Amino acid sequence: MSDSTIEQGTSLWQDALRRLAKNKLAMSGLFFLLFLIVVSLLTPFIAPYSYETQDLYKGATPPSFEHWFGTDVLGRDQLTRVMYGSRISLMVGFVATSVALIIGVLWGTIAGYLGGRVDTFMMRVVDILYALPFSIFIILLTVVFGRSMLLLFLAIGAVEWLTMARIIRSQVMSIKKQEYVESAISIGLSRTHIIFRYLIPNAIGPIIVYTTLTIPSVILLESFLSFLGLGIQPPQSSWGSLISYGVETMEEYPWLLIFPGLVLSLTLFSLNFLGDGLRDALDPKVSKD
Amino acid sequence: MKNLYLLALFFLTLVACSDRTPTNVETGTENQILHIGNGDEPRELDPQLSTGSVESNIHKALYEGLTTRHPKTLEVLPGLAESWQISDDGKTYTFSLRTGALWSNGDPIVASDIAWSWQRSLMPKLASEWAYMKYYIKGAEAFNLSKTTDFSEVGIRVIDKHTIEVVLENPIDYFLQLLAHPSYYPVHPPTILAHGDMDQAISKWTRPENWVGNGPFTLETWSINKAIETKKNEQYWDSENVKLNGIHFYPITDQQAEVRAFRTGQIHLTYTPQLAIEKVAHYRENKPEKIRITPTYATYFYEFNTTKAPFDNALVRRAFALAIDRKAIVETITKAGEKPAYNLVPDDPNNYSPKQLFEYDPEEAKKLLAEAGYPDGANFPTVEILYNTQDNHRKVALAVQQMLAKNLNVQVSLLNQEWKVYLNSKRNLEHDIARAGWIADYLDPSNFLSILGSISGNNDTGWKNQQYDDIIAELKKTTNKQERHVLFDRANALLIEEMPVIPVYMYSDVNLVLPEVKGWYDNVMHLHPYQRVYLEKGSK
Amino acid sequence: MLGFIFKRVLAAIPVLFLVILITFVLVRLAPGGPFDEERNVPPQVLENLNKRYHLDDPIHVQFFDYLGNLLQGDFGPSYKYPNRSVTEIISSGVPVTMELGFYALIFAVFAGSLAGIFAALKPNSWRDYTPMSIAMIGICVPSFVMGPILVLIFGIWLNWLPVAGWGYAAYDKIIPTITLGATYAAYVARLTRGGMLEVLSQDYIRTARAKGLPEWKVILFHALRGGIAPVVAFLGPAAAGLLSGSFVVETIFQIPGIGRFFLQAAFNRDYTMILGTTVFFAGLIISFNLITDIVTVWLNPKLRKDAFEK
Repeated sequence: MSDSTIEQGTSLWQDALRRLAKNKLAMSGLFFLLFLIVVSLLTPFIAPYSYETQDLYKGATPPSFEHWFGTDVLGRDQLTRVMYGSRISLMVGFVATSVALIIGVLWGTIAGYLGGRVDTFMMRVVDILYALPFSIFIILLTVVFGRSMLLLFLAIGAVEWLTMARIIRSQVMSIKKQEYVESAISIGLSRTHIIFRYLIPNAIGPIIVYTTLTIPSVILLESFLSFLGLGIQPPQSSWGSLISYGVETMEEYPWLLIFPGLVLSLTLFSLNFLGDGLRDALDPKVSKD
Repeated sequence: MKNLYLLALFFLTLVACSDRTPTNVETGTENQILHIGNGDEPRELDPQLSTGSVESNIHKALYEGLTTRHPKTLEVLPGLAESWQISDDGKTYTFSLRTGALWSNGDPIVASDIAWSWQRSLMPKLASEWAYMKYYIKGAEAFNLSKTTDFSEVGIRVIDKHTIEVVLENPIDYFLQLLAHPSYYPVHPPTILAHGDMDQAISKWTRPENWVGNGPFTLETWSINKAIETKKNEQYWDSENVKLNGIHFYPITDQQAEVRAFRTGQIHLTYTPQLAIEKVAHYRENKPEKIRITPTYATYFYEFNTTKAPFDNALVRRAFALAIDRKAIVETITKAGEKPAYNLVPDDPNNYSPKQLFEYDPEEAKKLLAEAGYPDGANFPTVEILYNTQDNHRKVALAVQQMLAKNLNVQVSLLNQEWKVYLNSKRNLEHDIARAGWIADYLDPSNFLSILGSISGNNDTGWKNQQYDDIIAELKKTTNKQERHVLFDRANALLIEEMPVIPVYMYSDVNLVLPEVKGWYDNVMHLHPYQRVYLEKGSK
Repeated sequence: MLGFIFKRVLAAIPVLFLVILITFVLVRLAPGGPFDEERNVPPQVLENLNKRYHLDDPIHVQFFDYLGNLLQGDFGPSYKYPNRSVTEIISSGVPVTMELGFYALIFAVFAGSLAGIFAALKPNSWRDYTPMSIAMIGICVPSFVMGPILVLIFGIWLNWLPVAGWGYAAYDKIIPTITLGATYAAYVARLTRGGMLEVLSQDYIRTARAKGLPEWKVILFHALRGGIAPVVAFLGPAAAGLLSGSFVVETIFQIPGIGRFFLQAAFNRDYTMILGTTVFFAGLIISFNLITDIVTVWLNPKLRKDAFEK
């Protein structure tokens, strides 16, 4: 921390970071996530095997010294597949959630803050999108645009933002009745200013909680989309697809479910510890204690 | 919180200790009620309207055709018809109906009922998807396609109350087999007319309260997505030999759920054609008495799009066919007793089995590819294998992808599509290579060979060959067994030379059947007439 | 209050209309028709099939015919199941799905909020981490994994509970309810914990505590009302999600609900069934969101004035 940053906004963030650094759980979550990201970036160089090379006559062998996570039914190394899967799943998880987050938070905040007709209109749009048959929508997307990762993110973001928007809206509706917001309005601050300085920061708790909840569902949703023909294609793997194949054989070859499931769970735990830590660190009220 | 745990614990103990109600299988075996896992909710119980095996499985309990099949040998046996005569030219069949045969409501079954039923199935407005099964009958196609509205031009004639005559377009030796097929089952005219017109498809006549049929069982209840229950039909002509008191069909869509239902005694057997591969291995090893694996008259193959490069070149197609190690696929992936296929027509141990004209030969495949202008895969474009989303297809495609990369050094990508999108892409020839399968309706190679005719609606390869069409046309007219076999051989040889499709393996049916189900025989048509099935507790 | 509800119900009409219109267009744009199967149907037969369902009429005629019938409560015939009407199929499946969804929601709210409150009372202690870790597992494990695992343990290995069905055998509703509700219970737990922490640091709680009220009264009568607000906002989407997302559970457990048809109809291109189920779910979603909004406003006295007096 340098002395020149006495500005109030900066020091608040630095305070928060300091508080975060003290939270052991949050930090271990952070480190695990960083570890995963590094591993997934380095996967092409450090993966023990190729993700597509099969050894048909050595299919579905249990974990061994050679294959730490065992092999799948086509004789491919499961560890390698989980590693490659993390590249796709982490990317899908973060990018698609960000898409949902940005649209959802903005939409919900604006609707909740402006209220009246604008709110009614915006929320009815949400209702309509909620009601449309999602699978038909995805099937159409695959046909019209072919398959691309970008489309996958958009498709997932397009559904996931709806719930986010509703939750944020209700939060904003109650925040805007708080005295400090009312006074900010009364002194004539611009709408943008109020939204970005007062409303969103004060709704950060639910935003973080809901975001950490969205990432896992997005990662799993990806496997359903590839079932419909959108997104990744074999021989590429993702955690979602590894898990859904694993369920089918969980009695016969449990390692095919356990390892990808374990990695996914650890990721989510880390995300949540980090999310909670961040929330606590950013919450101005807690900081007073 | 602690109390809550205690409460939960108490509750679970209560559940655990309560008397276990007997399973379906236990009560069923005692009362001769067969419980069948039947794959899905049937579309229809009107035999002339439905097309799938889910429906057929139920129709076979509710109706009976002029002929039936021997459960073991598939030999044609008299059904509703007691006997028949065939004219010397093989075109005219005269059937004598059983005099004592009754509908389930007690009405006698007469020849005009049969003629009426067949006419109904050909009515254009009914739009029966199985109408083509009757195109062998003289004039039937013209009537079905509205080229004539006069049914007397169709070769179906009522001679008297118990005699009906059928005239065929061409003599075919499998016509008696066809009569046992659900599309030829009779329906009860007064019942249908009481709930709508003759050619009205949307009707309530198949509801249990309205339904009338002539099979060994009668329809009792039909609850959507829950169960269909049938009861022994006391009016059935052979009812004294029917041992089951009823059959219950459950529409279990999920393979895993079906296996669980079997393991926990909810069903006696699974009737869907495919069982999860991993379960197959498990049962073969641990409970071989409960698993039935039967090779079937069906082929799994890959279709080329022969209308565009690189697969417009037969050399490339042959190279691909030779580069696939079918033995590895059936031994390590499908693992359910499938046989490697080197012909589109599957083997039939009793009749005609095609000769194997090529084998897995990576060296030869490389040479062919080089000859086609792609030495060691150089400059070969990336091609795509299209398949519909299903675990088995994915695994086979993955293995093929690797084999092609290894043996030919060509890049293949995979594309899965949802079922209807896949059908659409393939029909519009948007694919490079697409997975396909064909299951025979009757035991005759022409069933498979006609797919690739240039006028066939099921030819998704774009391949057209005059010589081949001539063979198909000639087959239609030829009745002599020897001559037919010569024609089959010629067709097969032509297909191997041209290779519009790559045969991969011959399907086998894998079902879980409890040992107490007796009279359930394995055969290549996956036909299991219920008439002689019964349940008997093991002597253990 | 009544005016507010009336306005929202009125607003539902254009929403429903747009949902129908968009879905109507979407399904017809999707490749493959209701009668496409492995074996190609001869063109003549296909034409007759299309005629049977008036699919050969111009599309706008079809649309207005459909609307007209809908206004009379007729969803049309199903293309996949020719002797059933969509209305019949929906009405046979809805009670089952509703029951399943209702139990799952009850389970989610009770288990979830209990765990959430419990965790919020002693944040960052084992009493926080234990229920929250269980909740995390609930979120991590999707129903298509949870269902088979529960069945394997309780149905097959322990043989305590039936593996499938709905009301066919004793206790066969337990596993499906937990499977469907678990994810939502976990969400509720996390949202409750967050909301409670937020509220517990507010001044009025301190005041209440300072007045010497017993802790359980503070929690139950003062904190819970505010702390549960994010949960309430979540319940609308959750209830809708429970119903429309029930297809996985219905398939795993062989439950004759409407969820299975909702998904299958899309795969079958059963146009009338897709529209029927969509309209039905749209109605549900709109009503749930309306209820949520009413409850949200009711829970927050400051909003109450504004919303209902206008």
